[in-house]
Amino acid sequence: MYPQQIHSYLLKFFQENDCHIINGNDHYFSVQLTIDMDKKIMNRPFYWRYLENTNGVPNPAQLTFITDQNNLNEDIRGEVVHFGSPRLNQIFQATKDLGTFVQMYESVLDIRNTKTILTPWLGVNYKVSYYSDQTKEMLHSLGINLITGNLMNDFHEWLSEVDLDSKIPEDTINLTYIIKPLRALERLDLVVEQFIHQDDDTWAEEAKSRWKKDREVLEHFYEGVENKPECYEMEVKALEEHYEARIKIEIINGGLFYMQ
Amino acid sequence: MIIERSSEWKEGFIERLDKLETWDNWSLYNMSYDVVKTNLITEFTGLQSPKYLPNLTPLRHQLEVAETVIERMNGKAILADEVGLGKTIEAGLILKEYLIRGLVKKALILAPASLTNQWIDELNQKFYIPAISYKKNYVLDDYTVVVMSMDMAKKSPHKEVIYDQNYDMIIIDEAHKLKNHKTKNYEFVQNLKKKFCLLLTATPIQNNVLELFHLISLLKPGHLGNIESFQSSFSTNNHSLDQDEYLKELVNQVMVRNRRQDTGIEWTNRRVLTIPIQFTKEEKEVYELILDLKNYSTVFSGSFSMITLQKEMCSSKEATYLTLNKMRQKCVDPDEIAYVEGIIQKLMTLEINSKAEKVFDIISNANDKVIIFTEYRASQAYLQWYLYSKGISSVLFNGKFKKNKRDWMKQLFKDQAQVLIATESGGEGINLQFCHHVINYDLPWNPMKLEQRIGRVHRLGQEHDVHIYNLAIDNTIEKSILDMLYVKIGVFEKVVGELDDILSAYKKSM
Repeated sequence: MYPQQIHSYLLKFFQENDCHIINGNDHYFSVQLTIDMDKKIMNRPFYWRYLENTNGVPNPAQLTFITDQNNLNEDIRGEVVHFGSPRLNQIFQATKDLGTFVQMYESVLDIRNTKTILTPWLGVNYKVSYYSDQTKEMLHSLGINLITGNLMNDFHEWLSEVDLDSKIPEDTINLTYIIKPLRALERLDLVVEQFIHQDDDTWAEEAKSRWKKDREVLEHFYEGVENKPECYEMEVKALEEHYEARIKIEIINGGLFYMQ
Repeated sequence: MIIERSSEWKEGFIERLDKLETWDNWSLYNMSYDVVKTNLITEFTGLQSPKYLPNLTPLRHQLEVAETVIERMNGKAILADEVGLGKTIEAGLILKEYLIRGLVKKALILAPASLTNQWIDELNQKFYIPAISYKKNYVLDDYTVVVMSMDMAKKSPHKEVIYDQNYDMIIIDEAHKLKNHKTKNYEFVQNLKKKFCLLLTATPIQNNVLELFHLISLLKPGHLGNIESFQSSFSTNNHSLDQDEYLKELVNQVMVRNRRQDTGIEWTNRRVLTIPIQFTKEEKEVYELILDLKNYSTVFSGSFSMITLQKEMCSSKEATYLTLNKMRQKCVDPDEIAYVEGIIQKLMTLEINSKAEKVFDIISNANDKVIIFTEYRASQAYLQWYLYSKGISSVLFNGKFKKNKRDWMKQLFKDQAQVLIATESGGEGINLQFCHHVINYDLPWNPMKLEQRIGRVHRLGQEHDVHIYNLAIDNTIEKSILDMLYVKIGVFEKVVGELDDILSAYKKSM
């Protein structure tokens, strides 16, 4: 992410969370946090507990972020935020927490004065991480039609081309799902596992052979030693943790979508 | 294959379906997806870390080392670049990469006490890694990246506390201090669980090839076989290596080493002069008397103390006096005492120090900032006094100084004094690129110490040719030291690779 991207990302994040932007330009801005946002990102639970116990006047923090120090001409004091800085990671995490579950409806233009039928879908975004001594990640965005059970890949890409609203539009008929959302979730979980099984597992095989090779080297070191010392067991354990192939499936976010 | 999943999302989803919680904001939902997509690590290979580090421009060889260690050595390696090429940067890149990829959650960095602050600064400022310095009573569970001095770490109760932590990565700076497998340091590290592990040293071999065996066995036990097989195939006699090539290849599987000329950076030259010095008649006489002492008294029969005395006599009468006087106190026989006192008297009447005079010549000719390395504190003090009497200002430096004092002395040297006089232990951890004259007033037995000394000035940022003056007094023990230095450099070059000039080609004519 470039400074510009980070800048607009942060602005959008605070605006979406009802935090007032006080001033700024393309390289910095100051923001007045809401009470909720202060609690979320300022790490001061004692302050808030004290305030609530004493019925004090809440005074949420104002922050200044510098997103592009190199192009900053003004004499501004603030937190320098860049890709990789702890503050940005914290805000990424906050975004994740605040955008995990949605229920959305396709906006319908009412032209013919007829009722439009909206079909419910469950959409889930999965991140799959492959670990051995190396790692890589994959993103799977899946959708399942809760009436027909039809599956769709790249579901999120499809959604991004549609106008969505969190309120139920007028003049629509929202079908009630036949497949229960939790059942559908189990289906999607299985689909992701299938992806994993069909996936090329050379990486795991290679990690295994590196493991085996290192293990042989270790055995050679202790060849003929009858009572192997504690550090031998530890090396064995370390090799296992180092090379053993693991896969982690995480759900980024997901929700119910009513679509034409 | 182990598949890990969590039911956290499902539980939150149920709460929304049951209308116990409200649904989230659609924009934030999209932003969250976009962030994950942007930051996705789609390949097992390649470095992610550089794009997270806007304030650092790693050099090409540093990036290559990081890639090699991660992709070819599976994160277990000896980083053995020559002094001054940025091993700390390389280690930082590797650690950062593993942190980003989530393969390392907790890391421990062990360094000499004098370097811990430097590590903390670099990790925090250049790499945005929130490293902290370990203090007594800290609860280690709370910290992800900890820097600790080796001396503290190996002792109870810290040792046990560390063993209880599940560190994914261990980084050990100045790892040549682990060359001896009978030390507490070695035992401590041997019993640490080492998943990802980096050993940093510019000088993986100091005296003989067995040191390299022990170092590698710490990192990867068995890589060079066990001790018996190693000795029988590679080194019954330290100085003759038949299977050089084979050993070199094995070593290269776990060790990366860049030399200056490999880096593609334009390095200034090293101009090395070995300067022979003649004792005055009076100095020579005292030296011979000392050499002869072993025939007069059993107190002087030990070869170690005799070597020390000879080396000290080549350095200064002040250094010699301290040892000689201490040994005189061990003498019982009145004749012996009288004899030794006679020598001490002769010693103390010496008026000329030939080597110090040479130093004055060199400094006058250089007409620039100069660093002098000596092995003895007494010589250090003497030199400061001597140079002062000649109108030359100097500051002292040694490894026992606290960080503040080190920085202060460095600043004084930079701004005011012409000469910095350092003892051996002052050789590590200071960077003095603004100076380019180094006088090795005393020669150490170990060539890597010379390399460490020269590395203080001949490093990234040096703009001038570096002049190195090795002083050795004719017909004394210093001649043997020179010979030994050449032999040891030979062993190192066979297994590890060439060293820059540290002794000059003067050898032949010595």
